[in-house]
Amino acid sequence: MSPDPETQKARSYGNRWTALSLLAVVAATVFLVAQEFRAMWSDPPIYPGPGVTRQARLGDYFPGLAGTAADTDVYFLEGAEAGGTALVLGGTHPNEPASSLTAITMLESAVVARGRLIVIPRATQSGFTATDPQEGFPQFYRIETPEGMREFRYGGRGTNPIHQWPDPVIYVNGSGQQLAGPEVRNLNRSYPGDPDGYLTERLAYAIVEMIRQEQVDLSIDLHEASPEYPVINAMVAHEDAMDLAVEAALLLEFEDIQIAVEPSPANLRGLSHREWGDATDTKAILIESANPAQGRLRGATNEALIVEGVDRYYTRAGELGLLYVPFGEAGSPMNERVGRHIQTVSTLLEVFSTYNPGRTITVENLPTLNEVMQNGLGAYLASPGG
Amino acid sequence: MTLIYQGITLFVVLLIVWHMVREGRLKEQIEAALVLLPLILRLLMIK
Repeated sequence: MSPDPETQKARSYGNRWTALSLLAVVAATVFLVAQEFRAMWSDPPIYPGPGVTRQARLGDYFPGLAGTAADTDVYFLEGAEAGGTALVLGGTHPNEPASSLTAITMLESAVVARGRLIVIPRATQSGFTATDPQEGFPQFYRIETPEGMREFRYGGRGTNPIHQWPDPVIYVNGSGQQLAGPEVRNLNRSYPGDPDGYLTERLAYAIVEMIRQEQVDLSIDLHEASPEYPVINAMVAHEDAMDLAVEAALLLEFEDIQIAVEPSPANLRGLSHREWGDATDTKAILIESANPAQGRLRGATNEALIVEGVDRYYTRAGELGLLYVPFGEAGSPMNERVGRHIQTVSTLLEVFSTYNPGRTITVENLPTLNEVMQNGLGAYLASPGG
Repeated sequence: MTLIYQGITLFVVLLIVWHMVREGRLKEQIEAALVLLPLILRLLMIK
């Protein structure tokens, strides 16, 4: 005979006091977890170097962005002599850290002698405030400088869903491309943007407006991708920038830096290398380096993987010829990824200046890949505290 | 729109709390507490 309901209830050990105790545990847990998440809401400092002549906000170019979570800093490095203008966009995808870190290194160390360099280090500002769910990414990583460790954020791929929600089931971007719903928060699927659209589309619109208003000659969008992705250690160039990219790749080859050149597909809409080139007069190029922390084959996902780029599963995949980049025991360290980006940007500026003497852009104090590998990236970053 | 979303979330949170207090089985109360965690973080727009 089974016990009556009252007896069953008495045996279940729960009552009002256990409920209240559990609610207290929930409140304490929420408080502690919230501290962790909120730690990502403040920007680790960037220390503008001697080359930075002024600073603006992206919202200055499109008031619809001003005051939103997507507005971000724009740094100008202006030379004493007039010349052309180049844009370096970092942090389109905050889970591709070499992108943002390259931009930060440039604005903390570069000096422009002629022309102008515009640097945006955190293009998807909102994306730096949260990591992607179910990926196990650390929130921060550190780079060693001669005077201590600098801390940087490892964010998510797109705009934080707290700032833009809900995602549609299917996202049809401004160019009519049909994409998966979460791509609605991906800046590099939202170009040329929409002044009345989603927050990410307004961000894309502001960037295109800035390129137009500042008459940017050469625009470079920095990225990373997993080592098993076919377009890696590569430049993707709009047809207007193809000659420039090919000649830069040849010059890089002379320096033992292998970099592929891919044409921007005309029917792949919403991406920077396509829409910047179509919507403005700029020469648009996207650059990719290999980030094992993004890949599906990775093992432990931690700060060491982000910074040192060593992963035994990727090493094994490289031995089996499954990757699109060489991946040995040394992995794909941050020094190499940022060094590659910086030298590629330098070479593009050099080639652009050669063919546009009236729009020359001369940037000094940028390290080469070899220098970054020898001295460490931290040697070209400001010390903690500036 | 955000306020409507938060209002719905608050309503669900209150329902779960009410259920927890009335529920006699400890296992059910613990499950309800686990459900509350992400809901409250969402209600506060923290995650």
